[in-house]
Amino acid sequence: MTVLDARPIADAGDVPLRVVVRRNPADRVYRGVARGGGVATLTLMGFIGGFLLLRSFHVLNARGFAFLTEKRWLAAQNGPFGIAAVLPLTFEIAIVAIVIAVPVATVAALFLTEYAPRRVRRLLTSLVDLLAAVPSLIYGLWGLFYLQPHLVHVSKWLSDHLGFIPFFHVQNGTALSAFTSSTFIAGVVVSLMVVPVCTTVMREVFAQAPQGEKEGALALGATKWGVVRTVVLPFGRGGMIGGTMLGLGRALGETIAVTFIISPFFQPRASILANGTHSISALIALNFSESVSNPTARDGLIAAGLALFVVTLGVNAIASTIVARSRSGASTEI
Amino acid sequence: MTSPSELDPFETHTGRPRSMPAPPPPSPPPAFDNTEAAPVYARFTDTDTMTLPPDPFIARPASRSAGITAQNVSAWFGDHKVLERVSLDMAPNRVTALIGPSGCGKSTFLRILNRMHELVHGAALAGVVELGGTDIYRGNLPVTETRRRIGMVFQKPNPFPTMTIAENVVSGLKLSGMKSTRSYAEIVEDCLVQAGLWNEVRNRLAAPGGSLSGGQQQRLCIARALAVEPHVLLMDEPCSALDPTSTRRIEETIAEICERITVVIVTHNMQQAQRVSQSCAFFLAGENEPGRIVESGPTERLFSEPEDTRTLDYVRGRFG
Repeated sequence: MTVLDARPIADAGDVPLRVVVRRNPADRVYRGVARGGGVATLTLMGFIGGFLLLRSFHVLNARGFAFLTEKRWLAAQNGPFGIAAVLPLTFEIAIVAIVIAVPVATVAALFLTEYAPRRVRRLLTSLVDLLAAVPSLIYGLWGLFYLQPHLVHVSKWLSDHLGFIPFFHVQNGTALSAFTSSTFIAGVVVSLMVVPVCTTVMREVFAQAPQGEKEGALALGATKWGVVRTVVLPFGRGGMIGGTMLGLGRALGETIAVTFIISPFFQPRASILANGTHSISALIALNFSESVSNPTARDGLIAAGLALFVVTLGVNAIASTIVARSRSGASTEI
Repeated sequence: MTSPSELDPFETHTGRPRSMPAPPPPSPPPAFDNTEAAPVYARFTDTDTMTLPPDPFIARPASRSAGITAQNVSAWFGDHKVLERVSLDMAPNRVTALIGPSGCGKSTFLRILNRMHELVHGAALAGVVELGGTDIYRGNLPVTETRRRIGMVFQKPNPFPTMTIAENVVSGLKLSGMKSTRSYAEIVEDCLVQAGLWNEVRNRLAAPGGSLSGGQQQRLCIARALAVEPHVLLMDEPCSALDPTSTRRIEETIAEICERITVVIVTHNMQQAQRVSQSCAFFLAGENEPGRIVESGPTERLFSEPEDTRTLDYVRGRFG
């Protein structure tokens, strides 16, 4: 430390001070560790992306745009291959899962934060967390052996009564076997895995809804539902969108349960009830063993993996942006 | 006494019968009448709070004020007793101020008057609260209807930030399912005029409620509370976070609305209590003791010649 200059401060000139912060060693160590953790995450991400790109580069280079336009996948047979069918089908499964999961998760999260008695709330919250921890293999097994035999009746009913909608139209839809292994059934099973993720994100946001505004609504004579509508849902909108996107990210990448359910199909189509669908992750899982010995086929699968990586990363990036943006009224704190 | 288990904090009655019984006649004359010393309010002459000429197109609702009476009200948070046997008559068409140092149970008492107390986990209460002669805890009035008739303005302004200013004003009508013969535009203007906010926001009714300053937000909350035509308006330190100008405007609003509505206000500001209220109750809690009313009566008397020395000490600013 220098001795303070006796000159009046005004003499120092009207220029911004260069602020120097001296940190003590403990602070420096902590900052180093924290920074290291952050850098490691990014590095890992970079390594994965770089590896996928490196390994698939020669395949992508050789096949060019055909990789994006080819529907079939005959890499192991040294035939043409591309993701024009599996990528849209991946999205179809994920969207079916989200359409089912989001309303369920929203209602569940509202119940947990607003309606459930205190004790029930604690129990149910840990149960939801537990559901998120169940391995997807278990969901797949249950979906295949229990859900599918029941769901085909739902599929048939939808097709019989709402078949005029392209999504529910099934050709030759008289036998129940025409409805097995469909996008719909795979989507339902994936939705089971998405619900806990969405519920947790939404519950955490709903629980932060400002008490003052909730009491304000109650003092006007609002019912519980009125409070939810005017305060909790507008406040939680960002969290709902974010939770949905995170769920979508998980649904896009879900592998084993989808692999169990589907029967491979290489034609993108509107009908979600008809037998046969596919997804990128299921494609990789199903074709991996016969492709390891064939460098082109193997690296083709890695290229498919790269496509999934990019798509999932994009979805999650959008999700985190929306969550971070939160709500428009966040500036009302005085 | 109501045990904590009987009070379900999550209970909310849904749906209000379409035809509510007409409010019962006003309660008997107040115990403390202050007819001699009618308070004189300073009338400010700025444009915002000028007394407006009667507007033939805005039908001012007639007085719907009803007195609110508390008898032997006690309150607990878990095992902790915060209020003991508090009885107070809050007469119709008057302003009653609740004063006392922090932690003496004024706010808890206020929240008991419109059934907000029971929303807190572990909260319990005993005693009787009557609105115009109807017991609000044991009567048939649904809790949502009770809260509509006994409105509340909170310490911290809490407009709905995602709604516009106009939507905020009429939000209570939608929330309580209230039908009104007047159009929303009329109600918005009338309530904002009553709350002394109209001139400041008339050209930006579509702006978000959160875009206003703190004092404006609080007046918006008053307008919102007035829109559902309450019989009683409870105010929990409504000016404690506000600047003097906003405080003055809100005090003028109180003076005006008490012609039609019973007002109960919690305040830490002695001058404010003297300015706005006709009746006053002094709450005090001893060390590790629940809060009680030490003295209540006409504001004038309580501040000039209180019976209890503790009241004298408090209003003279010797403690608290």
